[in-house]
Amino acid sequence: MIPELGHYALMLAFGLALIQGTMPIVGTRTKDPVLMSVAAPVALAQFAFVAIAFLALAECYVASDFSVLNVFENSNSQMPLIYRLTSVWGNHEGSMMLWISILAFFGALVAAFGNNLPVVLKANALAVQGWIAAAFELFILMTSNPFLRIPDAPFEGRDLNPILQDPGLAFHPPMLYLGYVGFSIAFSFAIAALLEGRIDAAWARWVRPWVLVAWMCLTLGIAGGSYWSYYELGWGGFWFWDPVENASLMPWLAGTALLHSAVVMEKRAALKVWTILLAILTFSLSLMGTFLVRSGVLTSVHAFAVDPRRGIFILAILVLFIGGALSLYAWRAPLLKQGGLFAPISREGALVFNNLFLTSACATVLVGTLYPLALQALTGEKISVGPPFFDSTFGPLFVPLMLVMPFGPLMGWKRGDLLGAAQRLFAAAMLSAVAIAATFALVRGGPVLAPFGVGVAVFVMMGAATDIAERTMILRLPFRAAARRAIGLPRSAWGTAFAHFGIGVTLLGIIGVTAWGSERIAAIKPGQSLTISHYRVTFDGTFNRAGPNYQDIVGHFTVRRPNGQFVGVLEPSHRTFPARDMAVTEAALMSRGVSQIYVSLGDPNPDGSVAVRLYYKPHVLMIWLGAVFMFFGGGLSLSDRRLRIGAPRPAKTRAALQAAE
Amino acid sequence: MLWIIFALMTAAAIFVVLWPLGRKSAVERGGSDLVVYQDQLEEIGRDRSAGLIGEAEAEAARVEVSRRLLAAADTKAMAKPPASNPALPLRRRRMAAVSALLVLPLVPLGLYLMLGSPNIPGQPAFARIKTPQGNESIDSLISQVEDHLAKNPNDGAGWEVIAPVYMRLGRFDDAAAAWRKALVLNGDTATRESNLGEALVGAANGIVTVEAKQRFERALALDPHEPKARYFIGLADEQDGNRDGAASKWRALLADAPAEAPWVSFVRQSLARVTGEPVPETSGPSAADMAAAANMSDQQRTAMIRGMVAKLSDQLHANGDDVEGWLRLVRAYVVLGDRDKAKDTAADARRALSSHPDELKRIDELVKDLGLEG
Amino acid sequence: MTRKQRRLVLIGGGLSVLAVAVALMLNAFRGSIVFFNSPTDVVENHVEPGTRIRLGGLVKDGSLVRGKGLRVRFVVTDGSRDIPVTYQGLLPDLFREGQGVVAEGALDGSGVFKADTILAKHDATYMPKEVVDALKKSGHWKDDYAQRAALPVSGRIK
Repeated sequence: MIPELGHYALMLAFGLALIQGTMPIVGTRTKDPVLMSVAAPVALAQFAFVAIAFLALAECYVASDFSVLNVFENSNSQMPLIYRLTSVWGNHEGSMMLWISILAFFGALVAAFGNNLPVVLKANALAVQGWIAAAFELFILMTSNPFLRIPDAPFEGRDLNPILQDPGLAFHPPMLYLGYVGFSIAFSFAIAALLEGRIDAAWARWVRPWVLVAWMCLTLGIAGGSYWSYYELGWGGFWFWDPVENASLMPWLAGTALLHSAVVMEKRAALKVWTILLAILTFSLSLMGTFLVRSGVLTSVHAFAVDPRRGIFILAILVLFIGGALSLYAWRAPLLKQGGLFAPISREGALVFNNLFLTSACATVLVGTLYPLALQALTGEKISVGPPFFDSTFGPLFVPLMLVMPFGPLMGWKRGDLLGAAQRLFAAAMLSAVAIAATFALVRGGPVLAPFGVGVAVFVMMGAATDIAERTMILRLPFRAAARRAIGLPRSAWGTAFAHFGIGVTLLGIIGVTAWGSERIAAIKPGQSLTISHYRVTFDGTFNRAGPNYQDIVGHFTVRRPNGQFVGVLEPSHRTFPARDMAVTEAALMSRGVSQIYVSLGDPNPDGSVAVRLYYKPHVLMIWLGAVFMFFGGGLSLSDRRLRIGAPRPAKTRAALQAAE
Repeated sequence: MLWIIFALMTAAAIFVVLWPLGRKSAVERGGSDLVVYQDQLEEIGRDRSAGLIGEAEAEAARVEVSRRLLAAADTKAMAKPPASNPALPLRRRRMAAVSALLVLPLVPLGLYLMLGSPNIPGQPAFARIKTPQGNESIDSLISQVEDHLAKNPNDGAGWEVIAPVYMRLGRFDDAAAAWRKALVLNGDTATRESNLGEALVGAANGIVTVEAKQRFERALALDPHEPKARYFIGLADEQDGNRDGAASKWRALLADAPAEAPWVSFVRQSLARVTGEPVPETSGPSAADMAAAANMSDQQRTAMIRGMVAKLSDQLHANGDDVEGWLRLVRAYVVLGDRDKAKDTAADARRALSSHPDELKRIDELVKDLGLEG
Repeated sequence: MTRKQRRLVLIGGGLSVLAVAVALMLNAFRGSIVFFNSPTDVVENHVEPGTRIRLGGLVKDGSLVRGKGLRVRFVVTDGSRDIPVTYQGLLPDLFREGQGVVAEGALDGSGVFKADTILAKHDATYMPKEVVDALKKSGHWKDDYAQRAALPVSGRIK
């Protein structure tokens, strides 16, 4: 009965989404507040029913109900509870359910906490959310239905793809989806504003917290995915420029641009048209990324299902939403009023610079991802665009962005003082020069450009520190006074500094691991050792170990210093899953500070030796540490009181406000 | 029951739409951009007094925000009040209510009739093993006995009653525990020892474990003619690779057997299996599985067989060296009436065994016997 | 500066960044694009030795030879033509005879394909799309491959 309840709940949610998409629009067209007020409760109810459907599906997985085709295909009663739960979204249908659950969740959040929004904007935005929800609920029901049944339930399921049986999967897709889908709110707000035909500075403030939340989740989701592929795929790479990675990177780039342009719009009422366009593009890229990859049009690890019907349905949805939104934009945008003036050298100018480079970088990724598709469609020739392409386009575009980044927060609005900012950044630049010189002097090997990369990263990090130092005047005032100023500083200023600092940390990690990482691949016998960096790794032998639904061949390695001092033990394994007849490599990692030693096992050879990959990954953890900084910075900005302003407050405060006028 | 819940869910959804429509006027009070601009002004003041911006900048910003504030206030004042004719919105709202009343039941219902499977009950694997459906009477019986035993754990007779029931339901661990209790409370007998052994074999998915073998040996020490123990000791030999030992033990067992004993044909099949004579079609699953299958409805039995066939098929596709397995799988598909699958399987088997001419011949013979060629 | 001049600066800046991006892309396309070829393509199109390509097909049954160290040799086939491949390093988990494979590298003078990357697949039932297309084209695609990915059970799906 549970699966049927879920199935019906999903259908009811579809019915409610249809109502959510029409009634409030009729209300705003006819200025009928009652019809508009339908939007919020219906959005909440729609979420409730989608949640029932999702929970029903999850219950089918937890209870291993193999009369549900989707459960049978992707689960197994022998799997530990955690993977039975995560396998809910480890497949196409289930991941779609997660997608719409998050969509409905965000809609419900706007409905419940959007009391600071003007009634018309809220009604329109919720209606747009309703359209998106309806389209995807129909898509799930018609082409990717997770509730289809098998009359004679098999006794055992087919198991989850072993590569997805990993704790990382519990966290990474939901986070990524929170990011992707979170941008739907910005999209809905943009469409709502275009429908209403009125966009002003206040719009940016209303939309900013939602963009910020989505951006934070996406940041963490991308970082999580990168860490997952780093340790699970067994060859120690953290980024492959795989289509699906690009699909998550593009909305991140556009979303980052949106985050910055919304600041300009809020403060100066400038860049309005551009911000609206970015809001539309960011979500369009999210949609395109999720679905082009998922539909199997692009070949990828993550291409769950290849079904032409799905592809066509998705294409229709994409055309409808992206095309519709852009047409509406083309029609309405020229009617919007011009914004405030500013000089090229100013905070606004720096933010425009940021937007230009971020969107150009995003465009190169887009071209690199879609070009093979287009070429194959046009000429039939099959090509692959690999890391070299992205390294030589994306990289050069990011360098100026990094160099200008520290200047932005130090410049004033409207008309900035470039010389003054440069003077204040003098210390940061000096430190960066010292870092370059030190790297040249101390580190052997690696590309010639790498020390300069280190310099850029240090400059970015020190630039962020300079911003805070300047604002608190910590170098000029006594410590106590500076501390008071630090507390009084808007949290968003702290947020900016943290996020920018995080970018520098990530950059340092990327440069460290790509320039100075070392690798050993060899077939070794028990008792033999390999030396990597300043460690000696001895292979002691292999043993077998049984897991709940797999069998491990574990290699035992001892890590020592060259002088024989014991450092630790590494146990990589070769894991076989009988239910799917598949094997995966489970790498073993050892952290030394922010660096790691990485071992993965290959095939055993007939002569008793085992193929081993051994890596030393200097500074690799900084890549993801930086993302955590960015997330934390986003959280600080989100907690800034300004973003909560406009929420209905106790009458007393409102009265006080009026009195202050 | 299902439909009642559907109806309730639908009613709740309709209520959510009708409830705001029923209100005379919207109670919802939205925010306004005025608040935002007022706050921006305040913020400029704060930044100024904190020394974050200079006086000139602050003044310019103040002018700009005030301009926005005035513009927003103007727009607000100019916005027309809602239509004055109350009949018009009322009719529209009624239309909206009617459309909700139509859309909400009809759209999901239509979809459900198209896609739903209201007649298939949920079959969670764990619950399924414990309680086959349609056996409510057995269920209640079991829970009664279980309650009784929870209160009187020293009732040996009670344990002896429930143990075979657990066996039939496939709850081998519970059965083993119950037989242990019975052994302690009622004393050793050959039957009890071999029953416990059988439960242990069932719990180990048909493998005669060391402990199980000890049980059977103890049973034979108490009564050298105990048939169940003799059968399983033979099975243990077979699983150790000692086919001859198994065959001789089972031959002896058959020689001693009373003609009407229900297990005779079963032992014959097992004997045929180890001696390499044509294997009867039902061989393969463990005795315990078969015992469980005997208690199932036809439908459940088919489902169980299909499950086992699928498992076997997966194993063979993983490791294709097992010619017996292939033969059994081909036959199983024929029994299930799926001749196409059987043909495919035979083809797969030929591919997997391509380097073993003897075994290929056996596959070919079977294909001929079953009339699967062409 | 007037409003118009500022707009011009903005637009000019934007266009120049875009131009730089386009230039970078065109440059990168010249150097870093790799074409996908089936063994038949390699023979018929006379792929020059030294040109980086991706070679896709099936690993021929019985062709895998493990050499000293981590050197391996195998043959990639599409049913019509065979290309010998050498590779040094660890093979992906799912590398098997009779399964699809994509290798990246270049032909040497003697017609042997020296691979420096063997692409991993992440599921036994997953076959790279390029390989499927190439096999279909050469007429050696068997539905069997698709069936292997399908249900093992005869469950009727309503």
